[in-house]
Amino acid sequence: MDKLSSQRLPPLKRNWWLKHRFFKLYMLREATVLPLVFFTLCLLAGMVALLQGAESWQGWIAFMRSPIVFVLNLLALAASLFHAATFFVLFPRVMPLRIAGHSLPDQAIVAGQWAGVVAVALLFFWLLGRA
Amino acid sequence: MNTQQISTKQVSVKRYLPDSSAEPYWQQYELPVDDSTSLLDALNHIKEQLDSTLSYRWSCRMAICGSCGVMVNGIPKLGCKTFLRDYDGDIRIEPLSHFPVQRDLVVDMEIFLEHLAAVKPYLIDDNPVKSYDPQAPETYQQSPEQLARYKQFANCINCGLCYSACPQFGLNPEFLGPAALTLAHRYNLDSRDHGKKQRMAELNRHEGVWSCTFVGFCSKVCPKHVDPAAAVNQGKVEAAKHTLIALFKG
Amino acid sequence: MEKIAMNKHRSQHKQAFDEPLWWGLFSAGGVCFAVLLPAVILFIAILLPLGLLPADALSYERASALLFSVPGFLFVGAVVCLPLFHAAHRLRHGLFDISVGNDALNKKLMYGGAALLSIVALGIVVAGFFS
Repeated sequence: MDKLSSQRLPPLKRNWWLKHRFFKLYMLREATVLPLVFFTLCLLAGMVALLQGAESWQGWIAFMRSPIVFVLNLLALAASLFHAATFFVLFPRVMPLRIAGHSLPDQAIVAGQWAGVVAVALLFFWLLGRA
Repeated sequence: MNTQQISTKQVSVKRYLPDSSAEPYWQQYELPVDDSTSLLDALNHIKEQLDSTLSYRWSCRMAICGSCGVMVNGIPKLGCKTFLRDYDGDIRIEPLSHFPVQRDLVVDMEIFLEHLAAVKPYLIDDNPVKSYDPQAPETYQQSPEQLARYKQFANCINCGLCYSACPQFGLNPEFLGPAALTLAHRYNLDSRDHGKKQRMAELNRHEGVWSCTFVGFCSKVCPKHVDPAAAVNQGKVEAAKHTLIALFKG
Repeated sequence: MEKIAMNKHRSQHKQAFDEPLWWGLFSAGGVCFAVLLPAVILFIAILLPLGLLPADALSYERASALLFSVPGFLFVGAVVCLPLFHAAHRLRHGLFDISVGNDALNKKLMYGGAALLSIVALGIVVAGFFS
């Protein structure tokens, strides 16, 4: 009997990722770049406005205050934090760090990265948050 | 069977008998279970008492041979390591995804074996022993620290569950896949091995490490906690380093 | 039946020497997205439009001074350019995951788009620096 002729391999359906919570979370993780791109385009528009002059700059700030833009950027903030949470746990698996012959525990590496996020926020506060 | 509480459960199995019908179909079986009944026990009961036409692979029944992989409610699992006490409702058993099905729960693992062979999963020595003195045989020396570097990745039992879990392999069977790439990395990390350069051509291509998008489901289903996702992605670092060096060497 | 040949064929496949570049940019961009973007989005897209920053923190004069400078150039590199390549990589692979388009073309579109927007962004900083 020809082994190959009786085999079945149905091709993977395009909605394969809807079949399990794990895959849906994977797709959500990947999709965090969509709000990021939106924010980046907003930032680019702001840079152009800054180049054009004070009025354009104020106009851009008003644009950033409009409801839809504001909500989408809130989404971008949430996306950046969700990305950070998933990215930080992957990092020690891709590059296990060793000090003095012992591997650093994963939690330490994750905590260190979050400390970086906080440090950047504090830097921004120092730069922009003081009168 | 022991004297614990015995009840019955229903198990649905995806049958495929190419000799009699071109299409697969579901068949339900009702069987006695207790707290210790594994899925493999159930399949053996079905074959021995209810329906001898059912085909499936099994051997050690203790999660070391890697033979009894099946899909249980859509998740790849070993039959011997899956317990019916953990399932309250439907128990749907199908053959491992992403492999051609030969009959019932038996799949064709040939592509997996090809990918495994392609990465040269064995120690490659650049100094083969030129003469052998039985009075003073040369042996490899390896410290516990050197062993620890690759040991986790060496625990792979070639069960193939990670291939069923991996959507990239599902989308493209030419992708070398989690186990093969993990074993390549295992040998690259082994202090006794000198074959990294020989393996690199297989790894540093699109169907090598670069098809992986760190979905990570392979590591979740691995019955031996090998963490193939980590190995594949560490392999990306190695492939990137190799590319950089190749660039500078010109 | 085919036998598995241990020493066969396969090193005739070409190595993918460009993939480490895209992956490297993706990784660097991922770090920036995770560590820098939360604070950037919070301060620029949330606090600023809501008027919650001190009055002159991001006035036209201050924003111009901050952006059109060498640190501003590096800021744009880290906050706009690298995350754009991160997004491009995820979008390219995401399109493959849902079987949309053809990978070779998607690579050109995504990485090309990221490169284009990156040059525009850096160009704006240079233009502002010299104006």
